[in-house]
Amino acid sequence: MSSDAMSTDSAAQPEKRPPRTLRDDNDRRFWDYCAAGELRMQRCAACAKLAWPPAGNGDACDACGGKDFSWERLSGRGRLLSYCTFERQYYPECPPPWTVILVELDEGPLFISDPEGFAPEEAREGMPLAVAFRSSVDEHGAFHLPVFMPA
Amino acid sequence: MSSLGVEQPPIGGVAAIVGVGNTRYGEDYRNRERPRTARDLAAEAFARAIEDSGLAPADIDGLAVARAPGGVQPDAAFLASLGLAPAWIQPPEVEDPLTVAIEAMAAGKCSTVALLYASDQRSASVKYGGAATASKYYLSYYYYHPWGFSSQGAHWALMTQRHRLLYGSTEEQLGAVAVAQRRHARLNPDAVMQKPLSLDDYLASRYVCRPLHLPDYCMVNDGGVVLILRRAERARGGRQQPVLIAGSASVHVTADAAQLRPQVLDLQYGAIRAAADACFAQARLTRRDVKHLQVYDAFSINVPIALEGVGFCKRGEGLQFVQGGRIEVGGELPCNTSGGMLSESYMHGWNHAVEAVRQLRGQGGKRQVAGADVSLYTIFTSEMSKSLLYRSMP
Repeated sequence: MSSDAMSTDSAAQPEKRPPRTLRDDNDRRFWDYCAAGELRMQRCAACAKLAWPPAGNGDACDACGGKDFSWERLSGRGRLLSYCTFERQYYPECPPPWTVILVELDEGPLFISDPEGFAPEEAREGMPLAVAFRSSVDEHGAFHLPVFMPA
Repeated sequence: MSSLGVEQPPIGGVAAIVGVGNTRYGEDYRNRERPRTARDLAAEAFARAIEDSGLAPADIDGLAVARAPGGVQPDAAFLASLGLAPAWIQPPEVEDPLTVAIEAMAAGKCSTVALLYASDQRSASVKYGGAATASKYYLSYYYYHPWGFSSQGAHWALMTQRHRLLYGSTEEQLGAVAVAQRRHARLNPDAVMQKPLSLDDYLASRYVCRPLHLPDYCMVNDGGVVLILRRAERARGGRQQPVLIAGSASVHVTADAAQLRPQVLDLQYGAIRAAADACFAQARLTRRDVKHLQVYDAFSINVPIALEGVGFCKRGEGLQFVQGGRIEVGGELPCNTSGGMLSESYMHGWNHAVEAVRQLRGQGGKRQVAGADVSLYTIFTSEMSKSLLYRSMP
């Protein structure tokens, strides 16, 4: 896969996924950026900490209590911290064995995601990863899911 | 972790537990024909605790009800059914009803409190994962649905895998926890799980969320627990040797908890250590005084992480520590001696309180820990840790 590939399986049918949580405009905005091939999060104007999951309207920064955020584009780079594999089925869209990874983004936040292009047995602590976006659909409609592949 | 705020209300030495009661977890689990509501379970545990204490319901002037999935509400009909007319009532709305009850006693609002927990979570089919996991739960329990991430177990699976990646700990090492607690359960007639569990059985058991096997998970069962507390100066002279609440401290970690940073990246060490240090200081005890340990074991990995966090061993060595029977009765630091939530009963930590009291009274039967006079209880979750020290009162 080329290094500038920001969308995986773009020709394939969107993959059915369990529902996103859409609490207010901030959650929707995160997904709108993903649809544009951008991983963005809200940075606190006061202390510069990134909010994830998104801060809702009126929510304060959990580090300093600040209420001003601006959406900032992230590098999409990170490293693998941990992973787990579901052997019991929790969602009809996610048949076992179903592996989930925890990524520490270069900018700081920890991000639950899908492994893209590598198997659990290939995972190693600190392995460098880069974001890609997978064409997906849930009960709210079509969206692009950020997933992580070896960088 | 200087940013951690320790909550340490000065409740150490204020109150003692003078009565304990619990339902027959194993009997109820095996007898599905016998419908039990949370109220029935609470009433049964209450009757046993009253009997144990030698007090009468009329002696109880305070009631605290613990939060529970499928729990009870202290309405007038329920109070009447137990013969209670308490001056002080704490409904099931607070995280730490034990501390709140002791504070109420210290403030003179009451002097003898029944702390009541009951749950019909199994009969009510309470679920701890999946798309139906609603927003009443913690954000990380439902926000990551699109990636297929769900259930409390998955949080602990990530933590277990992180421990393996960092320290090279193994599946066989973790198996020692479930094996030890099953041995303890088999010395406890009230425990649900009575089938022997060898390390080979553990390794052959199915995974739920890798790397965790089914025996690494606590069970889901119905039951009730009641503790009777009295002000320490009035605790003596009853039917039982009182057990003093000698110290208590908790720490909340909310920043980044939804990202699992403190839980997975820090393995919650900062919170566990800060709460334990403050608790020992309040009780004027040290780690060396601890003869018996109760760890809130929603998952087996809680035990080694707590051992490391509290400081019974070095970071990364918790799974080496639990080998060779060290945490079993007869070992250096017996832990979860009733079988814990993995094998006795999932009473959200309240069965741990009962076991600490029984051990410190010397009523542990076949699982009695010789010379047990100080017991430490430690809990940690995605967002908090608490330590509590119990001490026998002469």
